Amino acid sequence: MVLVMGQTGSGKSSLLRLINGLVPHHTGGILAGDISVDGISTRTVKPGSLAHLVGIVGQNPSNGFVTDIVEEELAFGMEALNFPHDVMRKRIEEVLDLLSLNSIRERTISTLSGGEQQRVAIAAALVMHPKVLVLDEPTSALDPIAAEEVLSVLHRLVHDLSVTVIIAEHRLERVIQFVDRIIYIEGNGETSIGNAEEILHRAELVPPIIRLARALNLSEFGTSVREVRRLTSDIREIQVTTKLSIPQSDEVVIECDAIEIKYQQKIALKKVSTTINAGEIVALMGRNGAGKSSLIETIAGLKKPDTGHVRVRGLDPSAIKGKERRRAIGYVPQEPSDLLYLQSVQEECEAADRESLIEIGSTFSFLNRLVPNISLATHPHDLSEGQRLALALAIVLAGNPQLLILDEPTRGLDYQAKALFSLALKEYAAKFNCPVLLATHDVELVAELADRVIFLAEGEIVADGSTLDVLLSSPAFAPQVAKIMSPKPWLTVDDVLAAIAGEE
Amino acid sequence: MVKPLHPLTLWMWALLLAVGVVSLDNPWVALIVVGVAVLLVLVRAQGEPWNATFWWSLRIAGFIIVIRALVGILIGVPIPGTQLFRIPILELPSWMPGIRIGGVVTLERLSSSLHEGTIIATIIILFGAASALTSPHKLLRVLPFFIYEVGIILVIASSVFPQLVQSFHRIRRAQKMRGIEKISIRKLALPLLEESLTRSLQLAESMDSRGYGVSRKRSRYRASPWSFRDSLVLLVTVISTGLMVVQ
Repeated sequence: MVLVMGQTGSGKSSLLRLINGLVPHHTGGILAGDISVDGISTRTVKPGSLAHLVGIVGQNPSNGFVTDIVEEELAFGMEALNFPHDVMRKRIEEVLDLLSLNSIRERTISTLSGGEQQRVAIAAALVMHPKVLVLDEPTSALDPIAAEEVLSVLHRLVHDLSVTVIIAEHRLERVIQFVDRIIYIEGNGETSIGNAEEILHRAELVPPIIRLARALNLSEFGTSVREVRRLTSDIREIQVTTKLSIPQSDEVVIECDAIEIKYQQKIALKKVSTTINAGEIVALMGRNGAGKSSLIETIAGLKKPDTGHVRVRGLDPSAIKGKERRRAIGYVPQEPSDLLYLQSVQEECEAADRESLIEIGSTFSFLNRLVPNISLATHPHDLSEGQRLALALAIVLAGNPQLLILDEPTRGLDYQAKALFSLALKEYAAKFNCPVLLATHDVELVAELADRVIFLAEGEIVADGSTLDVLLSSPAFAPQVAKIMSPKPWLTVDDVLAAIAGEE
Repeated sequence: MVKPLHPLTLWMWALLLAVGVVSLDNPWVALIVVGVAVLLVLVRAQGEPWNATFWWSLRIAGFIIVIRALVGILIGVPIPGTQLFRIPILELPSWMPGIRIGGVVTLERLSSSLHEGTIIATIIILFGAASALTSPHKLLRVLPFFIYEVGIILVIASSVFPQLVQSFHRIRRAQKMRGIEKISIRKLALPLLEESLTRSLQLAESMDSRGYGVSRKRSRYRASPWSFRDSLVLLVTVISTGLMVVQ
């Protein structure tokens, strides 16, 4: 199992797509050098002729489905290669069992959850019995539990069926314990390959587990929670009671009262009541389909609750329109590019300045502080994921909203971009004393950033409390450092360092 | 659950009726055909995601009739007859002879525009019904190899439309939150176009990397049998089309 890591936009996806010849056969470009898979050079054959050797699962599997029903999707590749019927039947049964898809074999793909779709995409690649399985960020859209399911399946493939798995991922904390080797693409395009430990020793982008080892000057690096726990038993002996300093404000900004939302027969939210105060950073967590998006959209005023009501500073958010809305609620959608429609960064920034009646150039100067060295002439689509998110954030914050809402903001961001981003949000919340509400699956981000976590399941709030309490109470949602340091209540590397400093 | 017809049956039905409607060129018959299509979709749609295509094709058809009528009223050579109303004639430069904008609107002019609009709309509705009832993905599986490229185009084209509808809603929502209340083609078209292009490329890549079109023969995991009902539907359609053409 090989992990491909590197900054956003460093060419991980291109590297993956080189393996079955999608680059350059589909994208054009000049290929120097040669790649051969099982002795066949990708120069000489088209991707289709490698279909039985390389299975590839793209970043967004729902864009790659060719049929409507799970079973038909699995059969598609075999039908195309004219496999006999009895072989198809046997292999489909096999793969349905392997990925526990049997219960959904007759379902329409578009009605499946993100995790299920990801498993179907992997199954569709596996059914061809490939020697190599290539996956591009297979867990980025998944909640921690679904991600773990997918990764343990991959782990099993590597060990039981000796499939070579090549995987690109930003959330290293999720995959690091499973990988044997790492391909590290550095910012300047230089690439190195080596053992996991060897590469992580000097890499810039490392998961919290390695940051912890570095901060504590451990002699060895471990990639699994178990290993590092063994190395840090003395630190867990520290007797320091960390005081929690959550800035508490009594000013209620968002008030939800018994909100209920139904889609046809399905209930998305069941009598959800909560309040969010000024200056709070609240993370909304829960499995895919738990109702996070519905709650966010209701608070943003995009959706009216069927029963109950929402108030944002005393107003009904769905009644605020146009410019007023911009000033009341800042909303960064899951795809930041949805907000953008102009031809260059400069045009976007100036449009934002004009829309919010502020001095021309202020949006750009804010953006420049967030991500320096961004060129004014760049087309928004040519920006990296992190830069695009920063641009969207800058545009939204130009309106100086009294509330900031973000939907799944850190998909596809590397650790550096994430750190910058959390800093910007913290600054905003503190400076303007406004609440920030974000829906996310990223537990490490939540541990760093949020004051409070609301945990949704099946449309109901099942936990609501300080980040520390909520994250520690659920093993699946605990960040790496907390798992290592359990039962000590430390969530991040900084928490641990603060505790050590406190003892000395 | 209604037993499904062979995927090709409905497409042939749509194609044949479209030929019939065009060659007969009678808006009243066209309207009857539309009625049949609506009835068919109402009876046979089973709440699959692609059923929604039909209602969108109805909207587009309506839009086409309106636009065709407007263009007919505003531009072109007048057909003499009963005058309905008169709109001012736009002065055009002398190098544009033969084109007239505005002027007398006659009943004949309006009805001929509506007539043409209805015929075009009917064709769209027929194919809308066919694609709403049989997912084009199913059609792909029964197409013979030699039109393999047609297959790729078909799958991409048919998946672009529902995706466009989805993305449209998503982008509109995001822009509403940015304070843009009015729908602006310029602000929507670019993001939509970019997204559907990327998605289409991804789909083509996915089909290619899974070996589509590599083997000359395709096996079938689940056969789609041609049943007696398929022959019956086709026979009735052929007869009605024949009648329309002969007329």
